Amino acid sequence: MSEITIEAVPERSADPNAPLLEVTDYRVGFKTERGLAKAVDGVTFRLARGRTLGIVGESGSGKSVLNRSIMGLVVSSNQIEEGSITFDGTEIVDTDRQPFWGNRMSMIFQDPMTSLNPVMKVGKQIGEPLKLHLGMDKKQARERATELLTQVGIPEPTRRLDQYPHELSGGMRQRVMIAIALAGEPDFLVADEPTTALDVTVQKYILDLLGELQRDREMAMTLITHDLGVARGRTDDLLVMYGGRVMEQAPTEVLFSAMRHPYSEALLESIPTLDHPKHTRLNPIPGSPPDIVSPPPGCRFAPRCRYAQDRCATDLPELVSDGNHHYACFYPVGTEAGAEALQTNIERGQTAVGLRVSAEGRLG
Amino acid sequence: MAGTGSAHLRDDPNVLLRVEDLVVEFKAGRKGTVHAVSGVSFDVMDGETLGLVGESGCGKSTTAKAVIQIPAPTSGEVLYNGTDLAALKGEDMRRMRPEIQMIFQDPISSLNPRRKIRDVISEGLAVWGDAHGTWSQDRIEELMIAVGIDPKYGDRRPHQFSGGQCQRIGIARALALDPKVLICDEPVSALDVSVQAQVLNLLEDMKTRYGLTLLFISHDLSVVKNVSDRIIVMYLGKAAEIGDAEELYHRPRHPYTRALLASIPEPAPTVDVHEGDIAGELPSPINPPDGCRFNTRCPHADDICFTDEPIMTQVGDADHFVACHHPVDVTIRT
Repeated sequence: MSEITIEAVPERSADPNAPLLEVTDYRVGFKTERGLAKAVDGVTFRLARGRTLGIVGESGSGKSVLNRSIMGLVVSSNQIEEGSITFDGTEIVDTDRQPFWGNRMSMIFQDPMTSLNPVMKVGKQIGEPLKLHLGMDKKQARERATELLTQVGIPEPTRRLDQYPHELSGGMRQRVMIAIALAGEPDFLVADEPTTALDVTVQKYILDLLGELQRDREMAMTLITHDLGVARGRTDDLLVMYGGRVMEQAPTEVLFSAMRHPYSEALLESIPTLDHPKHTRLNPIPGSPPDIVSPPPGCRFAPRCRYAQDRCATDLPELVSDGNHHYACFYPVGTEAGAEALQTNIERGQTAVGLRVSAEGRLG
Repeated sequence: MAGTGSAHLRDDPNVLLRVEDLVVEFKAGRKGTVHAVSGVSFDVMDGETLGLVGESGCGKSTTAKAVIQIPAPTSGEVLYNGTDLAALKGEDMRRMRPEIQMIFQDPISSLNPRRKIRDVISEGLAVWGDAHGTWSQDRIEELMIAVGIDPKYGDRRPHQFSGGQCQRIGIARALALDPKVLICDEPVSALDVSVQAQVLNLLEDMKTRYGLTLLFISHDLSVVKNVSDRIIVMYLGKAAEIGDAEELYHRPRHPYTRALLASIPEPAPTVDVHEGDIAGELPSPINPPDGCRFNTRCPHADDICFTDEPIMTQVGDADHFVACHHPVDVTIRT
């Protein structure tokens, strides 16, 4: 630990009303043998203190790369980062973000089984950032670690400090991860699928806990999830990503009440819900996510979309705004253009890219 | 929620699989015993789908594995078509295996990475042959087409396919021997929602096409509701509640089932359950609580719950059984 030195932590800005995080036309690419893989392709959002931005999309949509890149965790000579990110007034693209880690920005990972060091006692793992970032000594760090474990609802915290991760259950380990991430009281937390590996009752506990801690500390958070139920209940704003691009972006309630993008609609319709009678036929999204090295021309989602027209296969839709609701689609759901496009596809029995459309407007 | 008893077993000639008082225990350390499954009974009719739902550590996978005798249960009967599998030995058991096949949670690691998928799918046939003791590549192609994998990719290896495709290959492998029963152990929990829907639809199609009976294990209550005719909720090695899928979700009686339902984050909230949170941690299966096993976390627990184990009893006239001293009687809005 002694090799790591932390330079002066950047000061917090004086204006509490300024957005904490401002991401503008942000792009992340990876050089591969086949060409540049555009993992994040032009993402823009603002995140204020105390707010939660949900980021939704399938595997490979770029949601994790986006957040890891904001944190400065994707460090590779093959990586290209463009655009602008200001964190509390400081431009951080192309800079070393390590000075921010711990007490300005922090992250919890998806897999609590593998994100903790298996050969280090829990207490030491929580104490490490405290000693490193807050300059505490061993005794202070241990006391604070006990407090943190109590805060995240771990019974018998003092006994747990001397246990190894394998002695804890999955839900407990995730709580230890949260305790570590929150040890430095960060302003911004990235939660990358924090509950995906957990049971529903534990998931509810962890999400309630995160919400509570967030309210107490005015902490901003991005919550990456593929679960639309979690996204709906736990976020203020939502960003729907597909193939590295933003498909739809809006306050969560607006997005669910006036869904515009066919991809958001398709995601929502593919999940089974409790009010469906048993053996209800589900509506999967046919095909698979796009190749981000040489994506198809036109809309990335066109090859899997039931609204697709000729234009979708050639022109790339840009984000258009309807107040605070943004979407990238020529034939949005719930508009006249969208209804017409679907009707056209129903009549000809297929979309412009040749996907079969049934008389009810379903794919396949 | 310790629920023993067998009131819910049906006396019907169409019962294909009947598990009675299944107990699975493992040695832990020098003295301890893990009580993984303690006296679970259920039956599955020909062509029915039984959903097995519960949290990690409730014994649902162990139950499924005990059905196919890997490992054999500590005690209890597993009657398949009237034959007790637990009593079969060696060659007799081997002859029975093609009848009950299984698909697994992690589709990629359940396929041998070094083999072509054509060989992965055909291995069972190479051992058994079909009904006439022969088989051909046509049968493999038919299976691949049935599960939606283009036969021209037969020479590829598992890493060249996505997770969803690997799960399709796993299904084709399980179906190659024309099984009667297919055990699905969390078959979609590693998949994206869009792919999950594809695989669930495929399972329903295969069930119709090949006349399968399914034992479907999942921790996702919405998924289980979608595929199952009847559902059994498990907690810490015991059955808590059993019933028709619609009935069970409409009128959950067991406090644990209600807590589970209340925890689901729904994108379009339709179910209104206010059970309150269940507190505390899952007790250790090495030293499970006396009486009802749910008593350490149950908001309704009183004296009797700590001394007497609740017995599975029918509630109302419907196909609905619950093992609880204080079943809740509030219909939830759906």
